[in-house]
Amino acid sequence: MLSALVKEGKLPAVDQRLPEKPTVVEVPEIGQYGGDWRRAYKGPGDRWGPTKLMEERVVKWSQQPGGPLKLKPGYISSYSVSEDSREFTFTLLKGLKWSDGQPVTTEDVRFWYEDVFLNKAILANIDQTLAPGGKPMQLEIVDEQTFKVKFDQPYVYFLEILAKDSTGDPSLDRPSFLFPKHYLKQFNNKYASEDELKAAAAKFGVAKWTDLWGSKGAATAWWQNPDLPVITAWKIEKPAPSDVVTMVRNPYYYAVDQAGNQLPYIDRISHRLFSDQEAFNLMIVQGQVDMQMRYVEPQDFTFYKENEKKGNYAVHRWTQAQTWSLVPNLNMKDEALRGLFEKSDFRQALSIGIDRETINELIFSGLAEARQASPVTGSPNYDAELEKHWAEYDPKKANALLDKVGLDKRDSEGFRLRPDGKRVQIVVEMQHANGPKTMEIIAANYKDIGIELLPRIIDRTQWDANRDNNSFQMQWYPFDRLSVVAADPRIMMGNDSYAHQYYLWYSTKGSSGIEPPADHPIRRVFTDWDKASKALNREQADAALNDLIKTFVTEGWVIGVVGESPALSIVKTNFKNFPDNLIEDDITRGIGLGATQQMWMKQ
Amino acid sequence: MLSYIGRRLLWAIPTLIFVSFISFVIIQLPPGDFVTAYAAQLRNSGDYITEAQEAALRAEWGLNDPLLVQYWRWISNIIFYGDFGRSLEWNSAVSDLIWERLGLTLAISTLSMVFTWLIAIPVGVYSATRQYSVFDYVFTVFGFLGKGVPDFLLALILMWMTFVWLNMDVGGLVSPQFEGQPWDLAKFGNMLTHIWIPLVVLATGGAAGLIRVMRANMLDELRKPYVETAYAQGFGERTVVWRYPVRVALNPFISTVGWALPALFSGDVITAVVLNLPTTGPLLLQALKMQDMYLAGSFILILSVFTVIGTVLSDILLALSDPRIRFS
Repeated sequence: MLSALVKEGKLPAVDQRLPEKPTVVEVPEIGQYGGDWRRAYKGPGDRWGPTKLMEERVVKWSQQPGGPLKLKPGYISSYSVSEDSREFTFTLLKGLKWSDGQPVTTEDVRFWYEDVFLNKAILANIDQTLAPGGKPMQLEIVDEQTFKVKFDQPYVYFLEILAKDSTGDPSLDRPSFLFPKHYLKQFNNKYASEDELKAAAAKFGVAKWTDLWGSKGAATAWWQNPDLPVITAWKIEKPAPSDVVTMVRNPYYYAVDQAGNQLPYIDRISHRLFSDQEAFNLMIVQGQVDMQMRYVEPQDFTFYKENEKKGNYAVHRWTQAQTWSLVPNLNMKDEALRGLFEKSDFRQALSIGIDRETINELIFSGLAEARQASPVTGSPNYDAELEKHWAEYDPKKANALLDKVGLDKRDSEGFRLRPDGKRVQIVVEMQHANGPKTMEIIAANYKDIGIELLPRIIDRTQWDANRDNNSFQMQWYPFDRLSVVAADPRIMMGNDSYAHQYYLWYSTKGSSGIEPPADHPIRRVFTDWDKASKALNREQADAALNDLIKTFVTEGWVIGVVGESPALSIVKTNFKNFPDNLIEDDITRGIGLGATQQMWMKQ
Repeated sequence: MLSYIGRRLLWAIPTLIFVSFISFVIIQLPPGDFVTAYAAQLRNSGDYITEAQEAALRAEWGLNDPLLVQYWRWISNIIFYGDFGRSLEWNSAVSDLIWERLGLTLAISTLSMVFTWLIAIPVGVYSATRQYSVFDYVFTVFGFLGKGVPDFLLALILMWMTFVWLNMDVGGLVSPQFEGQPWDLAKFGNMLTHIWIPLVVLATGGAAGLIRVMRANMLDELRKPYVETAYAQGFGERTVVWRYPVRVALNPFISTVGWALPALFSGDVITAVVLNLPTTGPLLLQALKMQDMYLAGSFILILSVFTVIGTVLSDILLALSDPRIRFS
């Protein structure tokens, strides 16, 4: 595709497009160029599906199949961290270019920092990950290639956070310190006049110029704007709302394989719109999907397997860094039930009262494992003991524990009675497809220990809102981010999960939320995170973080059921260099960990 | 006749105003708003927005304004500029999203209606003239089955059977290689191999009901004295049946012409979702779920316009075919 353009003189030769010393990717097998990789997407809200195929960061996670996770440099030639973890130095690849051929320099970094990041009109509030202790990061430009990021306090986990969230808003691919100044300055109030900004907004059909920015921004979201220069391996060609959204390779991408061939191998990626799971499954078995992980569901595993030959594909698996869990609400309004959940024995009874093996066999085709909500195999925080904490099936012991906490009176149907004489009932809300069948099994298990579980299927929006509004008792919840916990420990600290109000109290320094009782163990979780985020070195930080994880798991606030469930992918037989057995997590950026740039299609 | 038509058209205006307002209100009735739904969607894909960002978005999209103000902003732009606003979710003009899909929806609904009638009228007439015959029972059983099996289930079964036994490419309206391509003969031919499934599915459900209506009406008519008179005059059965009773029995068909489109929009959304058709149904459903009120509201408004126009057309047709209507 590109060599034709070079012949026509529309594109410089490849050695002029690559940096002086391009990043070398050791690919499993040297590939062929070309091909149109077909996948499916769910509509405009599915921006992250296509985005995660090709995100760029200063540092990215990488993993050999089954091995540990490691950080490796992205579009930079080197990085270093100061002794006291306050200063991070990055050097851009010399000769790195935007997808329109313009050079990438530290001027682009300066533009991002001064004119966007600190520009109140565009970014009203700075994400706390880039402002530890409330003071925003400082930038020092050393030369055309090198820049330094500095903080007032030590920031041990900064690189892990960069590998996940990069530099956050505004924009969809989280620009990772870089914005193409030569293109974007026309939409920036420091460079363009008010009339020019008005005209630009009108041209993109938005109400005001600030709408051009942000993750849905008409101009700065790569997903929307084909003119936006990028450094990713592909760039958008036909954006939504077209029925087929296409992306085309970036001729200036900075990486090569070990033989010196420029990556990516694949010319084009097409995303077909669908809205119903069955419609997507039909696409798969008809062989209309070349490679996809997103939306490929474990509960349809047998269906995919049966049709492998017919559709010319194979099902591959990674492991999801999540545990499907029952998350009780420690801030719930029902005081009697809340009182029960605050008792460790009661939580233990609920946990060991679940027959996890049966759930794994029936719901997950035996592909997952019975475990607790704790870091997964391959995570730097993995601990075999925590993984099995309260995960055995022992209804007898569960009954004894429940008698011990004073629930020894039962009604005529054999359900236990609360101190106030009501039956012990727990309403569990769910919105995922695997919920109803799983709850059938758990409800039967709980009946054996005298507790009535009442499953409720609700809409996803409602399911989310109930956690915000503190109006749920228990939810069936994919407890994720169990790979590199340091990059995002928030749900372990109760945020958006088992103690949202306590977390709010902590994160807003007491201005909203609910203050936990003085002797509540969740306070240890909060102080551990404070310790970890202020630690002077990695050892101290890791020790505090592992304490946090240990407290979270041994307290058993969240009842993990089955985890390390498979992340399945459909891979066509002619689709090569797809790595197996990696970790799938938001922290490691989903499919991005598999380096899509190295994948190719046999013609 | 003209004054009758004029009256019908005048009535349409307040009806539309009322419908547009009610639909706009109903879309916003569920707790939360678009930003809540959007934040939930982000969260599901592992992205967070803070409370402050949510508040900023609400202000930006004017979601904090009173409902009447929001309604007026939307409807005045439609009336004065023909601008349906922007879909918050798709981030593009509503009109860009709607028209292409609307065309396809209209095409499918018209075709399925014709198909329905082609099944229902002959079968209904046959069942009435040969009451309690073997075929009458057979058709009745099939009719009830068609009515009883949910459309989406039938769609799934048909797709599955087509895929397994005929090895045909199913789902969507055209095969992947034609998607996003301009229309030509090859693409049209490819569409025909896809479109029969939705047509069959939609027609069976509709036909079942209409067969019963047709049969009952025919039975009423066939017992009337004028039929006997006609036979006494020596006319053959075919002439008698088709010339008079059938015309009268068609009344309910004519009066429901106008509902064919809304039925396809609303009743058959699930079928369209399952079949992955690029029609308006799936888009409307998603817009309602997300409380994307400009998109959903515009859909419902356009739908209502079509319904009102369809009803007026039905009324006119009825008035033409049945003088009693004009004067009542």
